Formats: sequence, C-alpha cells, structure tokens
Amino acid sequence: MKSSNGNSSPAASEIPSALEIRASRWRRPLGIVLALLALAYAWAVIAAPIDSTQGVIQKILYVHPPLAYGAYLGFVITGIAGMFFLGGGREDLDRLAIASAEVGVIFCTLMLVTGPIWARGTWGVWWSWDARLTVTLLLWFVYLAYLLLRNFSGQSPRTARFAAIYGVLGLVLIPLNYYVIEIFGSRSMHPENLEQGSLGDGMGLPFLLGNLTLALAFFYLLLLRWEVEAQRTLENGEGA
Amino acid sequence: MNVALAILWKDLVSEWRSRDRVVAMLIFSVLMAVVFYFALPDQRPEQLQALAPGLLWTAYLFAALLGLNRSLALELENDALAGLALAPGNRGWIFLGKAAANWVLISLVQVFTAAIFALFYRVDLAAGLGGLAAVVGLGTVGICAAGTLLATMAVRTGFREVLLPVLLLPALFPILAGAVKGSMSALGGEPVPFESLQLLIVVDGVYLVVAFLGFDYVLDE
Repeated sequence: MKSSNGNSSPAASEIPSALEIRASRWRRPLGIVLALLALAYAWAVIAAPIDSTQGVIQKILYVHPPLAYGAYLGFVITGIAGMFFLGGGREDLDRLAIASAEVGVIFCTLMLVTGPIWARGTWGVWWSWDARLTVTLLLWFVYLAYLLLRNFSGQSPRTARFAAIYGVLGLVLIPLNYYVIEIFGSRSMHPENLEQGSLGDGMGLPFLLGNLTLALAFFYLLLLRWEVEAQRTLENGEGA
Repeated sequence: MNVALAILWKDLVSEWRSRDRVVAMLIFSVLMAVVFYFALPDQRPEQLQALAPGLLWTAYLFAALLGLNRSLALELENDALAGLALAPGNRGWIFLGKAAANWVLISLVQVFTAAIFALFYRVDLAAGLGGLAAVVGLGTVGICAAGTLLATMAVRTGFREVLLPVLLLPALFPILAGAVKGSMSALGGEPVPFESLQLLIVVDGVYLVVAFLGFDYVLDE
C-alpha cells in the first residue's frame, strides 16, 4: 500500500556507509578461506568413522549443531542491530538486521530439516516436543514473522522501526522461551552438552571443521546479504 | 499518567456507546465453544473437562486478536492515531491507556466465555474461581501489552488483519504455557502452581516494559 522510501528520510547517511564498506572488504578473503575450508570439511566428514550404533545418519552431527549456532547468532545480531538502530537511527545497522534475520532463518530452517531426519534415525520419531526443539521452532516463527512484517510493509523508515522493535521482542523471547521450558520441564532428548571426549575417535576433527566452516559460511552470507541490501536501498532511492 | 487515564476512559466510553467490539468478541467466543464440540466428537464428559482449560485459552487468544485489531483500527479513522501521536507527554502512557482499555474489555468477554464453557463442558468454575481469576487476569495483561504494541504496528501496514496473528501468536506462547497450566490446576480444584504465576508475572513485566518504551517509535510517522 505504501510506496517505498518515506519522505522523512533525506539521504543523510551515505549508502553504503563507512561500516558497510569496511565490512564488505572482508567478504572476498572470507570466501576464499571458506571455499578451502569447505573442501577440508567435506573430506573430514566422508573420512569420519561410521557410528557403531546410529550408522551413517550420525554424520548429521557435523552439520546440525553448527547450524543451530548460526541461527541463534543471526537472531541475536538482528535484535542488537535493531536496538542500535532505534537508539541512533543508523540505517546501515537496520540493513544489517535484515541480512542477519534472513541468514538466521535459513540456518534455522536447515536445522529444523536436518533435526527430524536425525531424530527419525535415532529416536525413532520425526518430531518430539523436546525442549530445545520447541524453543527453536518458536523462534523460527518469530523471525519468519519478522521477515513477513518487512515484506508486507514495504521499504520505509517506519517499517525499519517496526521491525527493529519486533527484533528486540524476539531477542527477549529467547530467554523467556527457555525459562518456560525449564519450569514446565518437558524432558530433553537432546544431549545436555558435548562433554570432553564424548565424541568417538575421529569425530572431533570433522565436528570442529563443521563448526568453523558453517560459522564462516554464516558470516560470508551475512556480508553478502548486507551488501545486497545496501545496493537495493540505493537503487530504490535513485528510482524514487 | 493522566494521558493514560484519559485514553482508558475514552476507549471505554466509545465502546459503551457502540458495544461492537465486546459483542463481536463474545459471539466469536461462543462460536469457538461450539466449534470445539464438533471438532472433538464422541468425548466423554470427563475428557472434555480435562481439555476445557486448553480450549478456553484458545478461545481467549483468538477473541483477543479480534478485539485488539479493532481497537487500533478504530484509531485510524479520521487519523486519530496521528492526533494521539501529537499529544504532549511520554507516548508510553498512550500505550498504557490503550492496553488498559483492552484489558478491561477482553476481561469482560473472558468472564462470559468462562461461564459458557462451564455450561457447555460441565466445568465447575466455583472450585477454583480465585486462582482462575488470577491466572486469567495476569495472562491477559501480557496479551494486551504485546497485543496493543503489535496491533499498532499491524494496522499501519497494508495487511493488518493478516499480520497481527502472525506477529502476536509467537510472542504469546510463553503466556499460553503458563496460563493453561495454571488454569488446569485451578479448574481441577488445586492451588495454582507458583511457577505459573511467576512465569506470567515475569512475561507481563517484560512485555510491559518493551511495549512502554517501544510505543514511542511505533507512533512516529
């Protein structure tokens, strides 16, 4: 309904901003390291021993938890960037929030896809209302709603403010949801944490590489998406 | 503070004159009670009684969505929202006034809805009336706090009716969890577990603070 670019925002801040230019310098080197690391990661996962009880499906371990870290990182960055945007009105941080929410949702979706496949193989069910599963699903809905809010409201300073407030609400919901699960104690089927030595022989390296590679992939995608968003803002601004 | 009271009074008077929101929410809640009966066929009375707290809260949530949307959509007429935004003083008080009015109206609907559920599903309300009232009252504070903030955002987008449930429901899961557990105990004649009340109070507090502070940015043009 609303047209893009509210009239209340003269292009006071440069697009891309100094921060965006500095950040985008990191993307290429990061991409090269990521490509090399991805090869090592793929090799390590293939070479990793097959679990004696779970079989080959256990190899999901090398993607599933790293995806979870990426998802949560994305949501936290969205909330914090939104807060700084509300406080200082820096539009580049608003663009970072969008980028981070999108990459976070992608990581979260992949985690929610890989989880049930693994669960079916080891727990015997596709889905259980396990604590961590439930919380993650709820957060996934929050950030889907965040993206819908942005898509439905068009590009305007008002949308940016609404989204920032919703992002902050989402940030608050992370501990609240954990609190709910803790007091109403649905039993967790997830392992509590990976203690030292709880991984079998030869599983530590691919797990470590998985975490590193997917963390780099997260940041690479984040930087790429951030650049795209700056470009889009620029084009919309020129077209208006 | 005076701003909040003035808006509370204005909303209650305008609702008293039209009575459209409360009537719509009430009819909707009764319809939900009937829908649940057909959605859960061939249940024994005791099974229905066990399900009643969850069903009751489902009806509460959706009725509240209806009322919240309307409460803010009303302010769009004649650009009243812009007028509110121009009012002197902290805009958080405007939020509090709107949220309090919503709380009063939704609570009123909830009382009648509970009576209807008691009638249809043979729930003994008298057994835990105090506990139930506390749980419902606290749960509704959270619904109104998050709901008023998000409805103000939703009505100002092009997809207002669609957007509010999508934005609000994920934020209400913690409230639903605490409220249903608490209502189950209350309707079962047991004292409401402290954890339920504690959870509701914490969530209410957090949402009130976020909404009070955030409303300033939401009302900006």
